[in-house]
Amino acid sequence: MASSQKHGVLYQLERLEAHDQRSARPQDGHQGPQDSETDLEAKILKLRKLRDELRTKVKLHEAGARIPIANLEPYEPLKNSEENLKMKLEKAKAFFQAFHLTGLSGKLTTKGVCICFNTAFEGNILDSYYVDLIIKKPLQIHRHSVPVFIPLEQIAAKYLETNFQHFVYSLSEHLNGYSGRKYQADQLQCGFSAFLARPLQRNSLCTLLSFTYTMDPSGESFPFCARLVYQDLTTTLPTDVTITYQGTGATPASWENQRAVHETLFYKNALHKVFESFLRVRENFDCVSSVP
Amino acid sequence: MGHSSVIGMDEIVAEFIRRTILKIPVAEIGKILRIWNFIPESQLKTINLKQCKENVSQDVVELCKKKRASMKEAAILDIIYHQTCQIKKIWTVYKMTKAPGEEVDLSDMEEFKDSFKKVLQRALKNVHISFRDSEDTAVWIRIAWGTPYMKPNQYKTTYMVYHSQTPFVFISHCRIKKYIPELWQALMTAGNYHKIQQMELRSLYLDSLKAIVFKQYNQDFQTYCLTSLEEENSEVEIVDPRIIHENMKEKERIQRVTRETFGDYVQPRIEFAQYKLETKFKTDPKNGILAEREEPFRCLVKFSSPHLLEALKSLAPAGIADAPLSSLLTCIPHKAMNYFTIREK
Repeated sequence: MASSQKHGVLYQLERLEAHDQRSARPQDGHQGPQDSETDLEAKILKLRKLRDELRTKVKLHEAGARIPIANLEPYEPLKNSEENLKMKLEKAKAFFQAFHLTGLSGKLTTKGVCICFNTAFEGNILDSYYVDLIIKKPLQIHRHSVPVFIPLEQIAAKYLETNFQHFVYSLSEHLNGYSGRKYQADQLQCGFSAFLARPLQRNSLCTLLSFTYTMDPSGESFPFCARLVYQDLTTTLPTDVTITYQGTGATPASWENQRAVHETLFYKNALHKVFESFLRVRENFDCVSSVP
Repeated sequence: MGHSSVIGMDEIVAEFIRRTILKIPVAEIGKILRIWNFIPESQLKTINLKQCKENVSQDVVELCKKKRASMKEAAILDIIYHQTCQIKKIWTVYKMTKAPGEEVDLSDMEEFKDSFKKVLQRALKNVHISFRDSEDTAVWIRIAWGTPYMKPNQYKTTYMVYHSQTPFVFISHCRIKKYIPELWQALMTAGNYHKIQQMELRSLYLDSLKAIVFKQYNQDFQTYCLTSLEEENSEVEIVDPRIIHENMKEKERIQRVTRETFGDYVQPRIEFAQYKLETKFKTDPKNGILAEREEPFRCLVKFSSPHLLEALKSLAPAGIADAPLSSLLTCIPHKAMNYFTIREK
């Protein structure tokens, strides 16, 4: 998979570079002393370029960057096999990090395989979970670090024997769903606590979130009491949103309008994104109201 | 439930608060009172924490009297004390199971609490039930038991910790054991479970029990994790290359096996493991009077330590035991058990 990429863009660059180097090589013989000057100049440029490349390589290596430094000097014979091995090791580490980023990776163990589920939400890398399987008939889960409220036994009962790929896929969906919901709840709790009239309430799977918020920092406006239900364990958006008013008395029409708008927002957007938009509204409002 | 009298705070409540404050270490009193949030900050500042504890608790009681604290608030103070300080009480783990075919339900914590309270109060007269949510989506339930003729005894309480959508309950019992069936019924009805069973897992450390049962401790999984690829530098104190470690290979093998079994991180903390043996005595058939005994030889082996799993982890590297250790010892966190019965196969 990765090697075909190597023959893509990077390979093209190498070929262009080689071509360039060949055409930069001075013609033999006929030209006079001025051209030997240009020869020397060309040589200086080439050496400088090489020096810069080596410097970058050293810097990157020191900075601990795990980006594969493949094919920087493809036609440089590597002087020393230890350096060769080191580069290979760097490449291998980079591959494993790439696998890690795909969200699903595995390693063969003595008795079977250990699958690693790396969860993420909107580009943020979240927790990893492991399932250690023993390969024998029937396929068994030896150990795992999946939280107890994820229905692992049910998923395994349904798919482990019959359709292994589906088992892995279903478990991955559940874990990513959970991680995503947990991330949103944590973001709301930590990042937007100024909006919340009382702390966020949630259950272990984060499938039921309940919170009360106000748009007005002074707390004078009517609060919104929201209850988000996620019926589908694999989704990160709620299936049911209810916003109510918990106090006594009637709510103004403006509140009702806002409520309808907010309900739609919660259905369609991640929780913290909705509150980010509230923050922007509040900031704009503050800007406008501070203008004399 | 104790009623606050018309004139002021009930004397029973006052005494209970006084005794609770006396139990709290001085360093934690301020913190706990702030979490309790019953006495306003301005009044809390007037308490001199440097005087002797008797006086501190008396001051707190006076402030509570001004605000007419009832048993309800005092019970919350008790819960906070238990949540904050390391109480020397054994926690037992119970596992509930759903009826086959039931899916994971939504589990509204408020409904759980209402349902639990209703069922228990319907079954028993004079029980005082208090709830307090903790940060990790769990609820702490405090139950003070009474009888049909006596008000609840606030000093004989049972604590339960329950995480929503999990089948586990952690219970720290007081000595009153006769209401256990009613307690189970309330739990199962509220949580929508079908059966409850005690697990062979007990410890003083609630957090460790949670780590074991929720698999939150760092188990060692074999992956291509970047950290595991980095070689750890062995300590190199010796400068002269002519000097080598004797048995270096064996040492490295032990380190590797220990790491594979226990992982790199700190183990959950438990203080004992108990093995009840009901196996036949194994010996040379010709010697000894025990040789031909048919009945199993009953014996109880108990390992104790301030931190048992870490102690086991250090046995092989210290040279006291062979690596790998017996799986009976190493399976404790995986099997979530520290009480074993070993019978003849």
